[in-house]
Amino acid sequence: MVKLTLIARVTDGLPLAEGLEDGRDLQDAEFYKQQVKALFKNLSRGQNEASRMSIETGPYVFHYIIEGRVCYLTMCDRSYPKKLAFQYLEDLKNEFERVNGAQIETAARPYAFIKFDTFIQKTKKLYQDTRTQRNIAKLNDELYEVHQIMTRNVQEVLGVGEKLDQVSQMSSRLTSESRVYADKARDLNRQALIRKWAPVAIVIGVVILLFWVKGKIW
Amino acid sequence: MKPMGTENPGRPNFPARSAATPFAPASQTSMPFLSSGPVVGSEASAFRPTPPTAPQTSMAFLSSGPGVGSEASGFRPSPPARSYGPSVPPPPPSYVPPVGGSFQRFPTPQFPSTAQGPPTRGPPVGQSVLSPPMQPPVGQVQSPPVSLRPQQLSSVPMGSPPQSVNFPPSSVNVPQAPLDSSFSAPRQTLHPSFPPLESSYPAARTTLQPSFPGYPSRQSNAVLQAPSVQSPFPAHQGGYAPAPPAPSSPFLAHQGGYVPPPPVAAPLGLHSREQMQYPGSGPPIGTIQGLAEDFNSLSLGSIPGSIDPGLDSKALPRPLDGDVEPNSFAEMYPMNCNSRYLRLTTFGIPSSQSLISRWQLPLGAVVCPLAEAPDGEEVPIVNFAPTGIIRCRRCRTYVNPYVTFTDGGRKWRCNICALLNDVSGDYFAHLDASGRRIDLDQRPELTKGSVEFVAPTEYMVRPPMPPLYFFLIDVSLSAVRSGMVEIVAQTIRSCLDELPGFPRTQIGFITFDSTIHFYNMKSSLTQPQMMVVSDLDDIFVPLPDDLLVNLSESRSVVETFLDSLPSMFQDNVNLESAFGPALKAAFMVMSQLGGKLLIFQNTLPSLGVGRLRLRGDDLRVYGTDKEHALRIPEDPFYKQMAADFTKYQIGVNIYAFSDKYTDIASLGTLAKYTGGQVYYYPSFQSAIHKERLRHELARDLTRETAWEAVMRIRCGKGVRFTSYHGNFMLRSTDLLALPAVDCDKAFAMQMSLEETLLTTQTVYFQVALLYTSSSGERRIRVHTAAAPVVTDLGEMYRHADTGAIVSLFCRLAIEKTLSHKLEDARNSVQSRIVKALREYRNLYAVQHRLGGRMIYPESLKFLPLYGLALCKSTPLRGGYADAQLDERCAAGYTMMALPVKGLLKLLYPSLIRIDEYLTKGSAQVDEFKNIFKRLPLAAESLDSRGLYIYDDGFRFVIWFGRMLSPDIAMNLLGVDFAGDLTRVSLCEQDSEMSRKLMGLLKKFRESDPSYYQLCHLVRQGEQPREGFFLLTNLVEDQIGGTNGYADWILQIHRQVQQTA
Repeated sequence: MVKLTLIARVTDGLPLAEGLEDGRDLQDAEFYKQQVKALFKNLSRGQNEASRMSIETGPYVFHYIIEGRVCYLTMCDRSYPKKLAFQYLEDLKNEFERVNGAQIETAARPYAFIKFDTFIQKTKKLYQDTRTQRNIAKLNDELYEVHQIMTRNVQEVLGVGEKLDQVSQMSSRLTSESRVYADKARDLNRQALIRKWAPVAIVIGVVILLFWVKGKIW
Repeated sequence: MKPMGTENPGRPNFPARSAATPFAPASQTSMPFLSSGPVVGSEASAFRPTPPTAPQTSMAFLSSGPGVGSEASGFRPSPPARSYGPSVPPPPPSYVPPVGGSFQRFPTPQFPSTAQGPPTRGPPVGQSVLSPPMQPPVGQVQSPPVSLRPQQLSSVPMGSPPQSVNFPPSSVNVPQAPLDSSFSAPRQTLHPSFPPLESSYPAARTTLQPSFPGYPSRQSNAVLQAPSVQSPFPAHQGGYAPAPPAPSSPFLAHQGGYVPPPPVAAPLGLHSREQMQYPGSGPPIGTIQGLAEDFNSLSLGSIPGSIDPGLDSKALPRPLDGDVEPNSFAEMYPMNCNSRYLRLTTFGIPSSQSLISRWQLPLGAVVCPLAEAPDGEEVPIVNFAPTGIIRCRRCRTYVNPYVTFTDGGRKWRCNICALLNDVSGDYFAHLDASGRRIDLDQRPELTKGSVEFVAPTEYMVRPPMPPLYFFLIDVSLSAVRSGMVEIVAQTIRSCLDELPGFPRTQIGFITFDSTIHFYNMKSSLTQPQMMVVSDLDDIFVPLPDDLLVNLSESRSVVETFLDSLPSMFQDNVNLESAFGPALKAAFMVMSQLGGKLLIFQNTLPSLGVGRLRLRGDDLRVYGTDKEHALRIPEDPFYKQMAADFTKYQIGVNIYAFSDKYTDIASLGTLAKYTGGQVYYYPSFQSAIHKERLRHELARDLTRETAWEAVMRIRCGKGVRFTSYHGNFMLRSTDLLALPAVDCDKAFAMQMSLEETLLTTQTVYFQVALLYTSSSGERRIRVHTAAAPVVTDLGEMYRHADTGAIVSLFCRLAIEKTLSHKLEDARNSVQSRIVKALREYRNLYAVQHRLGGRMIYPESLKFLPLYGLALCKSTPLRGGYADAQLDERCAAGYTMMALPVKGLLKLLYPSLIRIDEYLTKGSAQVDEFKNIFKRLPLAAESLDSRGLYIYDDGFRFVIWFGRMLSPDIAMNLLGVDFAGDLTRVSLCEQDSEMSRKLMGLLKKFRESDPSYYQLCHLVRQGEQPREGFFLLTNLVEDQIGGTNGYADWILQIHRQVQQTA
């Protein structure tokens, strides 16, 4: 079952089209859309990613292909055959390039090709049911090979950037904590000093006081 | 004064001015002198040699001088004015136009000083200049010049005379920039010693002198003062008559109107005021003596309509030219958005709470963000693609023409919160010598008051939705019988091609009687499949997809459906209406996408949730405290549904057709909170009403609509919008949620001051509407406007905008009917008008023998009439019998959303005599305007030999006089012209006259396409139709215990005087 479909430009992560009514029966569609956006951002940073990839997230899998600087991404159930998902994306890609190929680079506003959503909608319906004759035929088609496509976890993919953040966070935490440590050490030192000499000082003080009182009274 | 003092030092140019010195002595001498030529001479001489000074004084004179309409006019366009621009702190370089600049400049000194008593001050000047004898009474007292100044000052913290004397030198600079000769000229002409160099104007001046011996000296003292007291002066000036500097432009505009330069005025050199005073029907002007007095009373900018019982009702002001927009708005701030988008109730924002409370009228704005622009004035679209939209970091204001760029173009200062923002690299442009960006002409957002930004992804919570139309159609017996279903189906079918948003447009249908019928319109089907759900308690949607389909794909199925719809239910005998459950079903189908839901309702909902019962037929409820409950929804179901609809971006339009009670009050709630509107066709019959339904439904379907919109209006620090009135849902304190909005919707809002005193000179307003266009683009439409802060009540009144005020009044009154009796609502309108006029009267009552006169500001001359019309309008009129409850509520919902122009037309419709035009034959289209003169809405205007057309924007009534020649009637109506006019519908006959009439109607209709004006024919004396259609709507007449116009004015006048 195809859940979400998004098409974006790789160079700057600008969304170009999205499936209509996407995520209607999905509880946390927003969460996954956020992940997809993060993913696009990662891609636009120019990290050299494979042009075909599957990324696992929760109970779902993102499949995407990058072609002609456009990323076609869909989210499916884990149980949904990978082969079908990629064929679905291929279909989208072919049509999208045919219709909008020339304008992809010049698109300036988000969802410039939102009209494409009707096609997405239509195509999605064809792939909805894995048991239709058509889809079974596609599944059995040996020409389309998807085994080499790498599968990674979404945390891994999105984590690349996060790791750097973590390191810097850790180092800053280190500095601040070491400062705290120094402060505390100084404090302890002082306390030790006080503990050491306080009784003596008190005794002396009392004695002096006594002497003084004595002098006064007498 | 204080601020001025502080400000002056800051200004580099004044110390430099050697002029300062010549001045100081002059002013000192003025103190004792009071009189004489010598002073004048000396002062003048001081001036003469130092060219730079001359301009200064001239300025002073300008501002202080009473005269100066014409001067002002000369002043405005003159280059020096422009040169202020840069020197002024607030007005940004973008203030290209001179007017703006000059305006900005002046208020600075004025306002702070005026804080108190402008009125008292005002008169003295006029008087002192005018006629010596007048001075004492005013308290200006013994030594005019001296006392004048201290007094003014004393009012201000600055206070004491000595200080004031010291002050002049410093304040001399006030007119900072060097003014050119055109400026100094008038001033020079003041002194007889210097031969007037200038044109006709000075000539007038000089002639003045002989007639008033004291004048020159006085004049001189005025001049002397001017520099010193500068600030108070212009301010009070502004107070009672359009002071040259500040309101120069508006004033001029006014002048244009009734410019009769009265010969009397000329010698006085006081054109401006004179002209101001005498509107079309000038009151009698006496002799010179009398004139002086008249002048005083008139100088208030008021029109004394002599209101004695024998008053000439023809002299009463009537808006026969339609809505006159205050054009001062546009002229003073040429970069403001057009007034069709935003209108303020007064174009002078009060500086303090006390002013607001004295103003009495509502303070606010009427916004119509999507108003239709004429060709060539479309709102430019700006795409900030790489940079992102430029907004203020703190207050989120969008970049607009009033922001100022500083620091070589690297920073910009927000005009609303004054925060200094960085200019991002992509947006950077150098500034030229005058501080303007060099790329200004390529940046519409920096030159135009209205722009549209293309919204980046941050402004989207989801991809732009497709336009979606969902129809919920009542197919019960009465709906089918009335022919409504058929017309609706036909109209929708004919509009399929024009629905916006091809090829994404989605469409869907549900019909209902006692059951709910869904239609599967999957594109692969040849015929729609109908599914009936009869379980009303537990609504479910029988099919997950295909109830809402893409129009371009399922086109043929949709067409088949619409073709067969009327016949499908032809024999339906079901009387029930399961409206509530059907509404829920529609909601379930639409909630994924949002869109527009059009409801066609013909019977009172009788089954399932949201069933309603008959109300409002109990006569006894009227006049009691329970009366208002009839006008609010009884069942919370509707409000709850409306809230859900808004949340899911669904806008609802209600079409109600019943001849019986259908509880529009409840149904209308759905439209009210979703930004929709209510169309009401009482006792719909397809034969009569089909054109109207067809036209209005077609317009609803095809007009440009903004989807999933939110609107916010921002304003400068210290001002805050407190309440909003119209059809929308408030999402947070100031965010209006508008699931679907279009050009026919306006919203009104009231504002208040957050701080007790405004210190800025200008307040900026910015309306931002974020929406998805039908083409699937997310856009932000931004309208920016600036308005000056004034410290004087008279100023506020003068810049009042009757249209906006009436619009706000109307919304407030209708809202009041929802919680109070009708009578209370009417009284509140009346009492506010009375209070405002009383306040205005008090402002000037001190030294005028107003006697039986009623005074009101020029800008509000139509307010009483509109107030009267409002009290007689459908939602507010009379009691139980005067309007049906449904009609009342429907009109109320309509008026809540109506833009200003439409509302004014509805309140004061046009009445035009057309028989001459029809018979004469040769009239050309360009004579149109001349022939069709709007007549006062009184029965007297109707001549029984004439043929009249009455047009309130919602319908035409053609009135046939009793003595109208039968030829005309026959030509227009065909052979059965003598028959019953209810049966006759106007159609084109085979005659020249008929064709002309139809052409005329067409022309009228085209001028206001938002509603279709159905034509009703009425013959004189034919009751009750005549009364119903026309006579009750002649607002100036006395009908059934309501006031006529003259009585109303008298009544208001009496009330004004009661405590005045």
